[in-house]
Amino acid sequence: MSQKIANKVVETDVLVIGGGIVGCTAAWKAAEHGLNVALIEKSKPERSGKTGQGMDEIGIFPGRDGVTTLDALNLYLGGRGPSSLRAANRVLDPNVLYKIFDNALWALDEMERMGISMRYVDGEFGWMPYGSYPNGEPGPLIELRVHWHNVKPEMASAIRKNGIKVFERTMVVDLLTNNGIVVGATAVNTRTAEFITFKAKAIVLGTGDFSRHYNPSPPPCWKYKMAYNNCPASAAGDGHAVAFRAGADITRTETMQPAIVRDEILLQPGQFYLNDGITAKTFNWKGEEISRPEGPLEYLQYFNKGMVPLYQTLEHLPDDFQKRLEIHIMDETPLRLKLHGDRGFNPGKHWYQVAGNRGSHVLSGGIVIDEYFQTTLKGVYAGGECSEACGIGAGGALTAGMSIGENIHRYVSTAPEPVIDKAMVEHQKRTALAPLSVKDGTVPMELECSIRSICEEFAGPIKTEGMLREGLRRLSSLKRAFLPKLMAINPHYLMRCMEVRNILDLAEVHFKTALERKETRSGSSKSQFIRLDYPENDPSLDNKHFCVRMENGKTMIVAKEVPELNQEYAKEKN
Amino acid sequence: MPESELDKHYEENYQSPLWNLVKNRAEQKDISYYAAYREVLPEYQKTIRYKDAEWVMEQIRKRNMEIIEQRKANSK
Repeated sequence: MSQKIANKVVETDVLVIGGGIVGCTAAWKAAEHGLNVALIEKSKPERSGKTGQGMDEIGIFPGRDGVTTLDALNLYLGGRGPSSLRAANRVLDPNVLYKIFDNALWALDEMERMGISMRYVDGEFGWMPYGSYPNGEPGPLIELRVHWHNVKPEMASAIRKNGIKVFERTMVVDLLTNNGIVVGATAVNTRTAEFITFKAKAIVLGTGDFSRHYNPSPPPCWKYKMAYNNCPASAAGDGHAVAFRAGADITRTETMQPAIVRDEILLQPGQFYLNDGITAKTFNWKGEEISRPEGPLEYLQYFNKGMVPLYQTLEHLPDDFQKRLEIHIMDETPLRLKLHGDRGFNPGKHWYQVAGNRGSHVLSGGIVIDEYFQTTLKGVYAGGECSEACGIGAGGALTAGMSIGENIHRYVSTAPEPVIDKAMVEHQKRTALAPLSVKDGTVPMELECSIRSICEEFAGPIKTEGMLREGLRRLSSLKRAFLPKLMAINPHYLMRCMEVRNILDLAEVHFKTALERKETRSGSSKSQFIRLDYPENDPSLDNKHFCVRMENGKTMIVAKEVPELNQEYAKEKN
Repeated sequence: MPESELDKHYEENYQSPLWNLVKNRAEQKDISYYAAYREVLPEYQKTIRYKDAEWVMEQIRKRNMEIIEQRKANSK
């Protein structure tokens, strides 16, 4: 069947892959600089990605008490940042984070210029505190409350008006390289199976996080997109996988953190429903109040004492906060209040379960980038949750997208004219379209469920060498036996086949890097890396991260030093 | 969880006050939930003490101190 489908070739300066916050802002800004920009999105940019249903807050920004970017950076890395950044003791390039903080307010202004409403209901910026000092005083970092229930339609409208060629329902197959430089990518229309070759001087990856290697709760996730926050059904790690296969480094693939599953009232340890600085109360199953577990290790201690499952509640909040909670929910997932009502769940009063060792998880790592959001593959940029600066959320994605769009013309103006390797295109076409020709094969969802089961059973937050080796063996067995038999009964299934190929590649990487990190890296975080057979911290791995890439079909893992903060930034005074 | 606590999870006919306002406005004016929310939000916001920053900070401090005490109690 693949022989009957004609090639379509699109030439562009910049190809943006993913129509979320990173993709839309990068495309919009790059087009402002006069570049020819195409954007592909496997869904529709109007409602795709993590903010597809809405968003109630973005951050984090240096805020009160005259804090500088450097102060904010130190506070963040000193324990008040997202768990994924703290997980392995400063494994994120601090220069990336510095740039995100330093450009955050500029990015907000640009967003307003783009036509996106950033103001709270009274027309003012709705700043709120983020995190606290150890003594209980609210900290100086701040987040911005936004009514972003319609942010994606607004962004999609902005990019379409700016002349960006949007290819919706179009799924990336792989990147095209030539002599170590990216020259484009291939993609498939998931409604017509049209195969498209994009010839591009630069590529931006903004494909969101990777969370489909663990079991969702409830399964299967593609039927329950409404239930997910950190785990949208689209999060197949497409950007991670294509970058990895093209030879770019990805990192922290051994780490993970529990996803938030809100409709099933299952939250990660320490997670709070409301983003206004007040923390929920935690109880054991007997109804006794306890301190919340700060991560899997503490959860395990409660487990060993027979105290799980654990629950949290917001019933102690004053009425004003209960009303704020409703607005937060409406801003981020409008229909959730209806769903809660249908099920008799009052989010301000009833108890919800705290995630423990099982449930859905999100990869805590991503594509390695430098402070200009360039990956290790020349011509490829990445930002947001698919990059190593994941875990920062919408604020990080917004700043990354705007910064990439602002600067990418410098690379494009000096990049060589892309020369496409036709043999590479043909190989990618055969790989992508093969499932259309398979009869009586395996449907991709079936293979995905098997991968998730293996990850749940043999990896998870608490790992051992024997279990990891067995899990890896099973994944390899699945790959050999079932990947060639993947069957697509229509072009939509073709997208699912490509997704499961990505999921399988990244699941293998997850196991391989977990085997390499022979230590336990703790600290008060939700995404601790725990090896029961190596319970101690290995000091030789301090400030190192495992970088993984594919080279000649083989997975290469190298422990690299995390860069120090640029001296110029370190000297910054107000 | 003890049997007596099970009703903490669910109750019959729970309706969020804000969702009720949104739903009713959408039905009255035959507009979308999104459009209705846009209309209802400013009215609902007026019933909240959200501009009182010092009060908010005080609530955060109060809860943080409770958590610190809880941690101390747990570590004993």
